[in-house]
Amino acid sequence: VSRDTLLARVRAAVLPPAAAELPLLPAPQTLDDPVAVFIDRARDLGVGVERVASIQEAGARIAALLAARGVRRAAVWETPDLVPALDRLRAESVELVGPESPVETIAQAGAGVTGAEWGIAETATVVLPSGPGRPRLASLLPPLHLVILRAGRILPDLHALFLRGGTLPSSLTLITGPSRSADIGSVLILGAHGPTEVIVVLVGE
Amino acid sequence: MIANTERALRDRALQEALSRAVPVFRQLRNEVAAEIPEWEALRETAARTKDHTLAHLDTYLAQLETQVTARGGAVHWASDAAEACRIITDLARLRGVRRVVKSKSMTTEEIDLNPALQAAGMTVVETDLGEYVVQLADDRPSHIIAPIIHKSAASVAEVFSRRLGVPQQARPEDLARVARETLRAEFLAADMGITGVNFAIAETGTLVIVENEGNARLTTTRPRIHVAVMGIEKVIPRLADLGVFLRLLARSATGQRASVYASLLTGPRRAAETDGPDELHLVILDNGRTRVLADSELREALRCIRCGACLNVCPVFERAGGHAYESEYSGPIGAVITPALRGLERAGELPFASTLCGACVDVCPVKINLPRMLLELRGRAVRAGLVGWKDRLFARAWVFVMCSPTRLRLLGGLGRVIQRPLIRRGRIDRLPYPFSGWTASRTAPPLAATPFRAWWASHRIVAARASRGEDAK
Repeated sequence: VSRDTLLARVRAAVLPPAAAELPLLPAPQTLDDPVAVFIDRARDLGVGVERVASIQEAGARIAALLAARGVRRAAVWETPDLVPALDRLRAESVELVGPESPVETIAQAGAGVTGAEWGIAETATVVLPSGPGRPRLASLLPPLHLVILRAGRILPDLHALFLRGGTLPSSLTLITGPSRSADIGSVLILGAHGPTEVIVVLVGE
Repeated sequence: MIANTERALRDRALQEALSRAVPVFRQLRNEVAAEIPEWEALRETAARTKDHTLAHLDTYLAQLETQVTARGGAVHWASDAAEACRIITDLARLRGVRRVVKSKSMTTEEIDLNPALQAAGMTVVETDLGEYVVQLADDRPSHIIAPIIHKSAASVAEVFSRRLGVPQQARPEDLARVARETLRAEFLAADMGITGVNFAIAETGTLVIVENEGNARLTTTRPRIHVAVMGIEKVIPRLADLGVFLRLLARSATGQRASVYASLLTGPRRAAETDGPDELHLVILDNGRTRVLADSELREALRCIRCGACLNVCPVFERAGGHAYESEYSGPIGAVITPALRGLERAGELPFASTLCGACVDVCPVKINLPRMLLELRGRAVRAGLVGWKDRLFARAWVFVMCSPTRLRLLGGLGRVIQRPLIRRGRIDRLPYPFSGWTASRTAPPLAATPFRAWWASHRIVAARASRGEDAK
């Protein structure tokens, strides 16, 4: 009942259709070097950027980063493109917490390892779709988030991302830096509910 | 409003907290807005996109419903606060929900959802750090995006020590850690997560939730049921429109280039996914909004994306704080939408709580002309008899004088004589009755010794001589 009443009320209230046209969308920016802009903006956020040549090397670099922080267990995404990196992590005897693991186990991992579909240069944002083998909480519950991104997937800005269209996953998460809050006394705190540290492992030129 | 403001002005802790936090917001916003050369064009695009959507709101809401349903979500329609609360408590009761976690949502504040859920026997926990403090302190949020901007770190520590047994000397980072640990247990135990909505995309049935902490992500991922509550004005037409709004929102709200998390949620968890909710419910709320939509003078207020930029530049907000407005929506936008949604008879004082300086229009990412609407609402308050006889008489006398050069000249001349004994150190601290109210909280500037008209007349002669090449004597 309420549906029709409400829609009828809305219909009675709106202006005639000719009143306002949808404006033209802004064109995406053109950047000479989107990768450089991404790295620059990441630095402003305190997000580390590690450059590697291949996905195998990404695995090795991640193992080193984990070892340096004394992290032995990592919650990971298991998607075909990440397999070489995961193999490398196993070889370096990192304990992997897979997507099927209970959420409590993911929460106890020292790090989360995921893969970004896109990067956004203007804001150093990484774009993570949900899906099979891609638990949403792997990028949120552990205190350290390591995200693998291919340099060729860096877009200039959000307009470029959303103009691509395509089917949306159940969750598409745009992540820009570590979790933060300045609610208490205007003091900036990292790791409010999510990771305190985010590192982007950038694969390729 | 007036009584609250007087209390707020005497509250030294509040004044300190506001004067520390508000200018920082302002400065950060200005810095990141200046980074985008096409900032003004973006604002224009956002305003026109919202106007278009509002002009076709019935179509876009119906499309949103179709798309959300097609992705496996359920859509509920609520005419008012009571109906929205009933829909959500019924949903929770039918599904045996005991524990509810919430992420920050002004719309759920507006409908007083927490007491309704608690009355139905459910435990409700706010998970945004600021809102969690509000809940522990049994307080109200005082800013659209910074709910405890009115509280110092020390007073938050006091609340944590009283409610959670944390030592009084705890620093903000210690308090945040305690909150994180306590709330993580709540997330793991909750059956239902409730959020607001920043943008709902009609074309795809996607709900967009923007935040910095990650609590909204947990709220929408861990519990088996996600309920999102949105006002009818939150819909935007296409995915491609979202870039405009996200770029404007983060920069206007907190002065960040992007908020830490933007979640684009399209339906509940799909087959073979290991996390995400089993059920997704969207509650679409009217609660006075269709009345604003039908009001050609006030409709523009429905463009609002709740960034809070107008609060941060408002000289009244910076002194009075958010609580003085007695509404979850404070500052200039609150002074417009609170009376617009609830009716002038219940919030008729608010449109007068402004200096009409116009700083809010300059920063509004969707170019809402707030001073114009404040004036419009003032006019309506007068016509509705909500303004006292003294103010009305004074305004009428003012109009009488200002409409005639002769009357203005006569009154000015009289004033210059009368004011002489009242001037102390170049200003007037106290006017006699019936004008004493004016100087109760401010000083009046004396009338200038030479009226502007006289100054102008002599200048014109000087300028004219100069242009003819004569000496100005």
